[in-house]
Amino acid sequence: MFTLDPHSGVPIYRQLLEQVRRLVASGQLKAGSELPSVRDLALAHAVNPMTISKAYSLLEAEGLLQRNRGRPMTVAARRHAIEPLASRVRQLAPQAEQLVRSARQLELDRKDLRTLIDRIWESGHDK
Amino acid sequence: MTSEAVIETRGLVKEAGRRQILKGVSLQAAPGEVVGLLGKNGAGKSTLLDVLLGFALPSAGDSRVFGESSARLSAASKARIGFVPQQDELMSLMTGAQHLALAASFHEQWDRALIGRLAREWEVPLDRRIGTLSGGERQKIATLLALGNKPDLLVMDEPASGLDPVARRQFMVTLLEIAAETNRTILFSSHIVSDIERVASHVWILREGEIAWQGELDQLKESTVRLLLRAEREFSAPLSLPGQLHCELNGCSAMVVLRDWTADRLPEIERATQSRAELVPLTLEDIFLAVHA
Repeated sequence: MFTLDPHSGVPIYRQLLEQVRRLVASGQLKAGSELPSVRDLALAHAVNPMTISKAYSLLEAEGLLQRNRGRPMTVAARRHAIEPLASRVRQLAPQAEQLVRSARQLELDRKDLRTLIDRIWESGHDK
Repeated sequence: MTSEAVIETRGLVKEAGRRQILKGVSLQAAPGEVVGLLGKNGAGKSTLLDVLLGFALPSAGDSRVFGESSARLSAASKARIGFVPQQDELMSLMTGAQHLALAASFHEQWDRALIGRLAREWEVPLDRRIGTLSGGERQKIATLLALGNKPDLLVMDEPASGLDPVARRQFMVTLLEIAAETNRTILFSSHIVSDIERVASHVWILREGEIAWQGELDQLKESTVRLLLRAEREFSAPLSLPGQLHCELNGCSAMVVLRDWTADRLPEIERATQSRAELVPLTLEDIFLAVHA
C-alpha cells in the first residue's frame, strides 16, 4: 500500500504521513478503512517501528486516523469527504515546482517533460 | 541520573598512552530505542562499547548501565545485557548446538523456542564444529548466544559485517521484531550506514572520540540539510553561515550543508547571501560525509 524508502533524505515517518494524507484526500482510503499495524508495516518494510508509530500518532492528532482498542487504526469518519480537485492539485505543487526547476536546469522544454511524465504515467499506473 | 535511562555517560574520557580515544563523551539511551553507533574506523566505537560494558575502565567521567556504574555492574544487571563482540569468543571444538546448550544451562530464562526458530530461519549449521564455520555463520551463533537470555540491553559491535546481503536483511528484520515486541534497547555499532538508516530509531555519530550528533534519526535528517544557493553574481568568498558543516562554491552557485536547520531560516539566508535558496534533503550517508568533511 505504501512506498517507503529508508535511504531517502526524507524521514520515513514523513513519507508515510504524506502518502496516507494523499490516499485519504483522493478517497482511495475511505472512512473506516483499516491501516496495517505498526509492527506489520515496520517488519514488511524492514524499518524501525518508532518512525511508523510517529507517523500514525501525528495523523491521529490531525484527526485523519482513529485509534481503536484492540483493533487496527482506521481512517476517521469525519474526513470521509474526498477533497476537491483544486486542493489535491495544491498538495502536489511543491514537487511539481521542483520538477520544473530541474527540467529548466537540464534545458528541457515543456514537451520533453510531458513526454517523460506520460511515459512514467503509462508504465507505473497500476489501474 | 534519570531512572529511565538504560545507558547514560557523562564526560567519558579514555586514554591509551598519551592518546585520547574518547574525549568527553556524554550520551543517553532509553528503553525501546534502537541506537546506531556510527563512526569511521578508529573513531572510538569499540572503545566506547568496552567502557559502557565495563570491559575497560574510563580515564575520567562516568558511565552507567541500568543506573549502575559500568565498572561495577551487579550480576543481576549483567544478566540483563547481551553482547556480541566484533571478534567472537566461541569455542571452536564445540558444535553450535553444544555451545547453545552450554549457554542455556547457565541461564534460567533461556528462550529455547526463540533460539530454535532463529537458528532455523538464519540457516545456522548447528551440527558442525564452530571451528569449521565461516565468519558469518560464527557471527550468527554469537548473536543467538546473546539473544537467548532475552536481554533488556543488546549491544553488538559491527554485527552484520560478516553476513551476505540476504542474511543481513533477515538479521535486521529479526532485530526489528525484537525491538517491536518488547521495551528492549539495542545498541549496535556499524560503518554500514544503510543498515543504521533502516533499523535505527536513534543515531550516535562518533568522530575522533567526540560525539558529533546524538538523537532521533528522523530529527537528524530534518535538521541537517543541503541548500543550493543561486546568486546573480559570483560568490567571491567562502560562506560562513550559522551551523555550516560544509560549503562548495561554483561560480554563481554555492552548495552548503547546514545543521540545526528550521524552515524559518530560509529568508534570512537568502537575504544574507543575496541568492535564491533551494532545499535538498540529505541521506544519512550524505550527513555522515558532511560531518567528516
